[in-house]
Amino acid sequence: MTQQIARLWLSGLILLAIITGACSTSNNQANTGTNSGANTGGNTVTIYVSQDRVFAEPVLQAYEQKTGVKVNAVYDTEETKSTGLANKVIAEKNRPQADVFWSNEPVRTLVLKKRGVLAPYQSTSADDIPANFKDPEHFWTGFSARSRVIVYNTDLVNEADAPKSIFDLADPKWKGQVAIADPRFGSTSFHVAALYAELGDEKADDFFRRLKANEVKIVSGNSVVRDLAARGEVKVGVTDTDDVNVALEKKLPVAMIFPDRDGIGVPIMPNIVSLVAGSPNTEAGKKLIDYLLSAETEAALARSEAVQIPLRSGVEAPKNIPPLSSFKPMTLDYGKAADRVEEVTRRLQDILGL
Amino acid sequence: MNFGQIIPSTRAVALGIANFLLIALCFTPTLYMFAQSFFDTTGELSLASYQQLISIATEPRGRELLLSSVALGAGAAVLATLLGFPLGILLARADFPGKRFWRVVFLAPLVVPPYILALAWILASGKAGFLISLTGIEFPANWTYSLGGAIVVLGASYFPLSMLATEAAARRVSGRQEEAALLYRNAGGVLRHITLPLVAPTVLATALIIFVLATVEFGVPGLLRVRVFTTEVFTAFAAFYDFSQATALTIPLLLSTLLAGTIAFLLVGEYDLTARRHFAGRFSFSLGWARWIVFSILALVFLVAVVTPLVSLWYETEGFSQIFAAVGGSATALMNSLVLSGLGATLVVSLAIWLAYGRARSTGFHRHFYDLSLVVIFAVPSTVVGIGLIGLWNRPDWRGAVYASPFIIVIAYLARFVPLATLLLVTSFRQVPTSQEEAAEIAGAGWLRTFFRIVLPQIRQSLIAVWIIVFIFCFGELGATLLVAPPGESTLPVRIYTLIANSTQSEVAALALLQASFVLFSLVGLSLFFRLEKGERGQ
Repeated sequence: MTQQIARLWLSGLILLAIITGACSTSNNQANTGTNSGANTGGNTVTIYVSQDRVFAEPVLQAYEQKTGVKVNAVYDTEETKSTGLANKVIAEKNRPQADVFWSNEPVRTLVLKKRGVLAPYQSTSADDIPANFKDPEHFWTGFSARSRVIVYNTDLVNEADAPKSIFDLADPKWKGQVAIADPRFGSTSFHVAALYAELGDEKADDFFRRLKANEVKIVSGNSVVRDLAARGEVKVGVTDTDDVNVALEKKLPVAMIFPDRDGIGVPIMPNIVSLVAGSPNTEAGKKLIDYLLSAETEAALARSEAVQIPLRSGVEAPKNIPPLSSFKPMTLDYGKAADRVEEVTRRLQDILGL
Repeated sequence: MNFGQIIPSTRAVALGIANFLLIALCFTPTLYMFAQSFFDTTGELSLASYQQLISIATEPRGRELLLSSVALGAGAAVLATLLGFPLGILLARADFPGKRFWRVVFLAPLVVPPYILALAWILASGKAGFLISLTGIEFPANWTYSLGGAIVVLGASYFPLSMLATEAAARRVSGRQEEAALLYRNAGGVLRHITLPLVAPTVLATALIIFVLATVEFGVPGLLRVRVFTTEVFTAFAAFYDFSQATALTIPLLLSTLLAGTIAFLLVGEYDLTARRHFAGRFSFSLGWARWIVFSILALVFLVAVVTPLVSLWYETEGFSQIFAAVGGSATALMNSLVLSGLGATLVVSLAIWLAYGRARSTGFHRHFYDLSLVVIFAVPSTVVGIGLIGLWNRPDWRGAVYASPFIIVIAYLARFVPLATLLLVTSFRQVPTSQEEAAEIAGAGWLRTFFRIVLPQIRQSLIAVWIIVFIFCFGELGATLLVAPPGESTLPVRIYTLIANSTQSEVAALALLQASFVLFSLVGLSLFFRLEKGERGQ
């Protein structure tokens, strides 16, 4: 009897797998077939998304509902948990599967541009997005931004005493009470590259040495920084606006400060969208890019828990976040900052002992 | 012409096909990556990655990384064996009630991804952990952020492997030998002088596998900020997008695995084992009053290794509603995971039985190299395997169709876990006497008939145990799956890891509990189907 059940179970499993496989293969025929010329007529588009899934999925679902185009999305994990979709895009360079790459910070996209896996596309939807958020060669375009912020525990730190500048974190007053995410990955890698571009190597090296001497806690991700601050394991940390907002929505005892508003400026990280070179459904990809760069998407991302800051004027700012026009953003040449990411990462490996 | 001398035997053909598949599925992705590592990003021939490897290896940083990697692997293997080995012996040989319960609950740490287990330990301690609310004493969270913390987490993750393997090996030990020894020794002496030496090769082989698993694990050292070579490989991928450098950096990992494997094989050698057949009774030692001590030890391990992390996760969640909410959007991913892992485990074990049989019956010196090659290929980080699979399977020919289907995930499972299943099964096959096959051949039975009717039934327990282990590993596989999964075909771990990027700890904890619960429920269902306890009553 037991053997019969086992055989039945195994047979069912294999049958189910075959059915699932058949269904999925038919679903994906569009993606593979178009590489060899079997175009799907724009009814399917494949996007690799390095924006957080919880924020990107509703946007893509809205696009599906609006246009009837099926969006095949592949989502990324936090950069410290897996090697990320940018590697998949590079590995698939000779036979691309994705039409569009949507990143939540500029560094990855600029690496992809250097590797020759992106194609230029100038979207008319982006006409009213400021020029400094667009690639002059049209390989990428920015939209809805996040900011790097200082998060602090409101039970342990008064608003008046909270650090107002990134450089305050090297003050011995905060010794052992500061957390940052590993600066080799994700938005923190962008932030440190921006600091090196702004300050120059000598000053930036000195700052990170003082931070190290101040026993900064380097953890695996920005969400961990937020959680450590919320739990009171550290008093302050550096993370992203969307991470803090999630905690604010949960009524956790944290608040955020936009750092260096009066100094070098607040580091702003736009989402970046690009067309993949040789993509299977290029025209469908362009239409999706147009949608992502629209005011409608910026408004949706501003309303969402991601509280992303619209880059164009005229779109309502998210709650808990001041509008872009109300503070001084750090002036950055994203291309130059990204060019130095690898070198900066190696310097910081030595300075911070990573 | 005597065609009998030219036409290969059924056995030679079957084993030849199996080894061809082993090379094609498991070795070629890594070989492809090593071939690519001699070229730079522009496609020019370059040794830059290897020059960098040499510079790292000759710096103090390189030595520190290597030492940490070896210490992490060895520490986790020793801890897991110290916990798992006695538990396995107790489950196989001692008389105490509730064995099925203990076996299933002790599997729990294995079904929770090590990364989540590490997170659970961090959450359990600290200013806001449940331990402080339970005891009023603050357990510092800092202890987890150390090499020792990583060893504890990985040892606690993998001890069920040692437990399962030890139990399966102890069940196969000849009852006749033990019975004969009982005439001269008491139960303790039989255990010490007969049973333990016979299970030692399996225990050490499993410790070696745990060493490899711990050495190539990225999530735990990454989270706990322990610098090892795996984190360097990861950094080469995630920070520099440099496939060549990442591949080159796996060499120290593979060499340390090779060294550990060589030491293990030199220590153990190969025992001549005989299987327990036609054995009416079963050797078992009576615990007597020591039953309470054993029970206390079991309860302690249960409390520390199972209850604490799971309760810690539960403490962080906001109750059932949050878990049910997590289930709501995960139905497709869950079904994908169950089907693909079930199919993957079945195919992995189906291929591994031929390979393990062939290895168990080989006598030449080359068999040691075969073992070592399996250990080394198993130590290749999942990301390297994933990128290699993309390079090999994302092609315009028929492979492109496979790459675009969910079957590519099963191929990733095969690439990663066939060596593991083969290593786990070799000792089981060696315990089946060749004399039985010879007798069947003399009686006129063909080799295939002998294999399926005589050999395989004798290792049924091991097949089930290995299938369960592979199923668990397939279910939790992330590194390669994330890279090769076609759009819209995410598995549960991929979905969970993509969701936790911005979730609060309570949501992460709910998703982790969800994953662990589904694997545990699947295993409980399977154990009922296969009635593992049947083995205890004697085959």
